[in-house]
This record gives sequence, structure tokens and C-alpha cells, in this order.
Amino acid sequence: MTVIDPSPRQAERLGPLDELDTPEPLEALFGDPADPGNPVGHQAFVDADERGDFLPAGRKTLESFGIGAEFVPRALGGRLGQADDLARVLRTVFRHDGALALGLGAINLIASSTVWAAGDAGQRRWLASVLLDNHPTAGAITELAHGDDLSRTRLRATEREGGVVLDGRKEVINNVARAHAVTVLARTSEEPGSRSHTLFLVDPAAVPRERMRFLPRYRTSGMRGTHLGGVEFLDCPLPASAAVGGYGDAMETILRCFQVTKSVASGAALGMVDTMLRTVVDFGTQRRLYGRSVTELPYVEAELADVFTDLLICDAMTTTACRALHVLPRQTSVYAAATKYLVPEIEQHAADRLALVLGARSFLREGPHAAFQKHFRDLPVAALAHSGATVCLATIIPQLPRLARRSWFTSSAPEPALFQLGRPLPDLDFGQLEANAGPDDQIVATLLDVGQDRVTDPTLRTLCGRLVDELRILRDGWRALAPRNRTPFAGPVGFELAERYAVVLAASACLGVWWHNQDHPNPFMRDTAWVVSALDRLTVRLGHEPLPQAQSATRQVFAELLSRHAEHRAFDLIGRRLH
Amino acid sequence: MATSAPAPGTRIVDREEIRSKLLSLVASYLEQPVTDIQSDVKLVEYGLDSIFALTLCGDVEDEYGIEVKSTLAWDHPTVDAITDHLYDTLTAEA
Repeated sequence: MTVIDPSPRQAERLGPLDELDTPEPLEALFGDPADPGNPVGHQAFVDADERGDFLPAGRKTLESFGIGAEFVPRALGGRLGQADDLARVLRTVFRHDGALALGLGAINLIASSTVWAAGDAGQRRWLASVLLDNHPTAGAITELAHGDDLSRTRLRATEREGGVVLDGRKEVINNVARAHAVTVLARTSEEPGSRSHTLFLVDPAAVPRERMRFLPRYRTSGMRGTHLGGVEFLDCPLPASAAVGGYGDAMETILRCFQVTKSVASGAALGMVDTMLRTVVDFGTQRRLYGRSVTELPYVEAELADVFTDLLICDAMTTTACRALHVLPRQTSVYAAATKYLVPEIEQHAADRLALVLGARSFLREGPHAAFQKHFRDLPVAALAHSGATVCLATIIPQLPRLARRSWFTSSAPEPALFQLGRPLPDLDFGQLEANAGPDDQIVATLLDVGQDRVTDPTLRTLCGRLVDELRILRDGWRALAPRNRTPFAGPVGFELAERYAVVLAASACLGVWWHNQDHPNPFMRDTAWVVSALDRLTVRLGHEPLPQAQSATRQVFAELLSRHAEHRAFDLIGRRLH
Repeated sequence: MATSAPAPGTRIVDREEIRSKLLSLVASYLEQPVTDIQSDVKLVEYGLDSIFALTLCGDVEDEYGIEVKSTLAWDHPTVDAITDHLYDTLTAEA
């Protein structure tokens, strides 16, 4: 049992926009990944991946940083305050290794968020002590046969003799055999519906050994170092106090908490694409073709600039979704799911294009660019971990018709703090989150507030005009949609409208971030080039031709990419030096 | 489908009207004749699951101009149960 002493753990975090030449503390611990002698460099992680295991030195790095404290609310002695801060810390780990970032990082949020939201004081204190000691935790939520359809959970919990007995199995659970604390989703009633499930917090060390057994590890194409296993409970007794929240509350708790995990995980996974882009720029600036470096070829220049722009779009969308958990908690059911749908889509497309530029080196498992193929295999695993694209769209489809009827062109813009990267927000309050969104889509209202009323740049105005037209089409489309298409039986038309909404949401986030960060220390982030490029790419996704006027913006974005690459700066909204 | 909410105090709450409104909402989601929907059968039996419950919740809020919990259809799993709950909420307001 740890004595909770908040003082050393609450080391001052650098403000997001402060001292951009100073690396984040965790990034500094990882050092220069390209150094072949670095025990936690790319080569070491590629080797560990070949062995199919976590890199022990990587785990030690996370432990010496005190990674567990990142998941513990400040009120319980940890460092969890803002969701976007957590996403950036995890992004650093993803930049180096996805298996480590998922297995010893993001998984802790899935395991613990339900306990912070619904657990009693004793459960929260105990889980906080487990995490503050940097012990791994696991969230045994899904079963392979039912995927993301959690309401069909089979693992059963029965009340017996003043306690509870668990019976059944959970599959494809990250790190479950090593976890010191496991949250388990169980069926507590045979009634169909959403009030038949309860979460339990299990201390594996405290249950009878013969009543709990671990299933063999699953082999995976990506994230090979990750230990995806399973657990089977055989009439396993638990104390009655193991229930997290009330009986029947699990689905509601999960719907609320997974807004946090979806937003944070999406923002974190960008670290992998950052490294892939960096690897390709490394290659392109060194390799000569037709008498010049590869990055001087116009096609390559455009491709790389587009990927950098995509990363900025994804960061704007995920950072806004994370900050909305604090500023607009009533709305995040839609924002988190739209983000978890669109961001992995954009990332995968970006990775595919980078692979083409890198050519044969995109699949070589050795040599100076081998980190690329590892991240390339890890990325789709991270995209599916937790919630796939279909379930995310299915979550927002029933909610969008109402936004179309009551919010779009009506709601007012949010308070600027939503977008101001350096502005501290009140600590995350899980109690404020709601299972479905209210009719007040303030992020999209930013499209009208900034895009229609404030923008003066003619290119940007044209792009915003296209997006406002799209919002009008979406409004009419959702209003006209047959009621059946607003249910789980929705046809392709509902899905397409939901996909297009996610694009408009991303564009609105870009506009908000750009407009409200005119104090950014980097003039590139204050200038219009990146937001012009971002909106151009997003409108192309909606079916428009690229705007010819946006091409000069692409060149500025490319120049910034090269300069950040040379200075070892992150390819995100902040641009902090990495080492 | 949504109508604007009547001014407070002018509403005359009629349990059967609520029931019939809910039945036609459910029938419209399922694209089935309203006569095929039974008010005492659980909505999940018609395939209307946890996510659908959010659709119904939004439509009910818009129809009656009140706020209901997003778990309305989870805690009141049949049209009859939702009818009783809405009737109580609306009469308490009127």
C-alpha cells in the first residue's frame, strides 16, 4: 500500500505553449530515437517487436517517469487534470512504441476511468495506489464473440452468500495476466437491454488462484510486443464491495467514460504518424534522385506537406474533443465518437501515402528506417483497439438529426477557452458527462462564428463558404432522413451523412484553434497557411476539387515541415522540441 | 415530426395521446404499421437497442419540450412504461 504524498508527484507541468525549446520531461527520458546506441531508441524497439515483447528498458523509462500517476486524478494524488495533457503525454510514448503506449499507457485509462466515475471512495483510493506504484491494470470489457456490442456480454456475476461469483471469460484483453487491478464487465441480469450489466473491480492477488485462469496470448500483426490475452473466471468469489457503482449501471458508466478514452486515445495515437512522417522526411532529405534530394521532387513535397497538414487537422480535432470534455461535457458523446471515427481514417490514409514515398524501405524490418514498418503495422491495431469506426458512427447517427433540427445555424459559439491551447481548464469531472448529447453543437457553431463572420482572407473565405454550404446540406439531409435511418438499422445514407458531419466538425475545430491561438509563439500557427491547407484537404474529402489558391499555402506548410524536422520539433499544434 | 412545445400551463396531458404518439414513433423507426407494435412488449424485442434509446430520448424531448434522462428507455423498457413515466413528468409540470 502506497502512502499518498502528492508533493513530488505533482511536479510542475510545462504550460503547453511555454518554453517550446525545452522537451517534455518524458520525451527527454526517451532521448534521441535515431541514436543506434540509445537503449530506448527506435532500434531497441524494433528488436523488441521482433521478439514479440515489451522492451524492458522502455518499461523502466515509463516507471521512472511515474506513468501511472498520469491516470490518477489530482484529487487522489496523481497528475490527471486535463484530458489534452494526458493525450500529449501518451502521444510521446506512441511516438516511440505503440505496444508500450497501449499496454502500459492507454489501457490504464480504460481500466480506471469507470472507477473514477462510479467507484466508491475505497475503490478509488485502492486503484490510485496501484497506479501510483506504476503497476499495470487491465479493462476486461469486451468478449470476442460480441466485439463492441457490450450489451451482449455473457460473463455472468451472481450474488451468492453475501458476495458475488464471477463465471465466464473475456478475450483479447491487453496485459490482463500482468495486471494488479482489473475492471470486469459482467452480466448481472438475464433481461435483454441496457440495465443488465455491472462493473466489478477485481484484485487478482486476492481471488483464489484456482478460480481465475489466464487464456493463451493472441498473436498479432501489429503491436507485437503487446500482451493480448484473456481471463476466465470459474465460479470465482468476490466480495460484494467489488461492484463499481450500482447494479445495472455499467452501460451508462461506460457510455460516459468511453468519451474520455476515445478522445484521449485518438489524440495519443498521432505520435505514431509523427514518427512515420519524420522517418520519411529523414529518408527524403538524405536520398538523392535525378540530381536532387527526394524531398525536392514536387510530388513528394506535396505528399509530405499533406501528411503534415493531416496531423495538424487530427491534433485540432482531438485536442478540441479532449478540451470539450471539460468545457462542453454535455456534448461530448457526439464529439468523441466523431473524432474516434475520423482521426484513424485520416491517419491510415496518411500512412499509406508515406509508405509509397518511402518505397521498399516501408517494409524493410532492418536498417535506419525500420521504425516505419513497425509503426505502420501498429497503427491499424491502435485504430481498432477500444472502438472501431462502425460503432463510432452508429453512436452519432441517432444523435445528429436532433442537432440538425435544433442546433446548427442556431447555437452560439463556445467560450474561447475551448480552443486556447495554453489556457488551463478545471479538472476532468466524469460526473458531468452524459450518455447522449444535448442539442447544442457549439464546436460547429464556430464554423459560422469564425468561418463566416470573422475571416477576411479570400481563400479561407471561399473554403469556409464551401463548409457552410455543406452544413446546410447536412441539416436538410438529416431533417429529411427516414426515421429508420436514425436507428441501429440505418442504411448507408445515414452513415455517409455521419461521415460528412465528422469532416465539418474537424474543419470547425481547425478554425477555432487557429482563430483563438493568435498568441502562439510560432508565427506559422498564427498565419493562415496551415488552416487554408487543412480546410482545403477537408473539403476535398467532401468531394470538392482542391482550390488552386491553396497551393502557395501548401508550400509554406512544407517549409515549416522541413524546419521542424531539422530542429527536431513535434509535428503537432504545439511544435515543441523533442530532443 | 417535431412540433414546438406548447406554452407552459396550457398543456392538457392525455395518457392515451402519449401512448399513441410513442407507438407511432416506434413504428416509424421500424417502418412497420403501428398496429404491429404492442405497447407492453419490450423495445429491445423489436431490436431497438441501447443506442436507439438515445434516438427516442431526443425525439421525446423535442416532442414534449422537456428534458428526460438519456436512459429513459433503459429504465422504462416498454411503450407502456415510458407512457406512465412521461405522464407523471408532464402532469407534475402542468
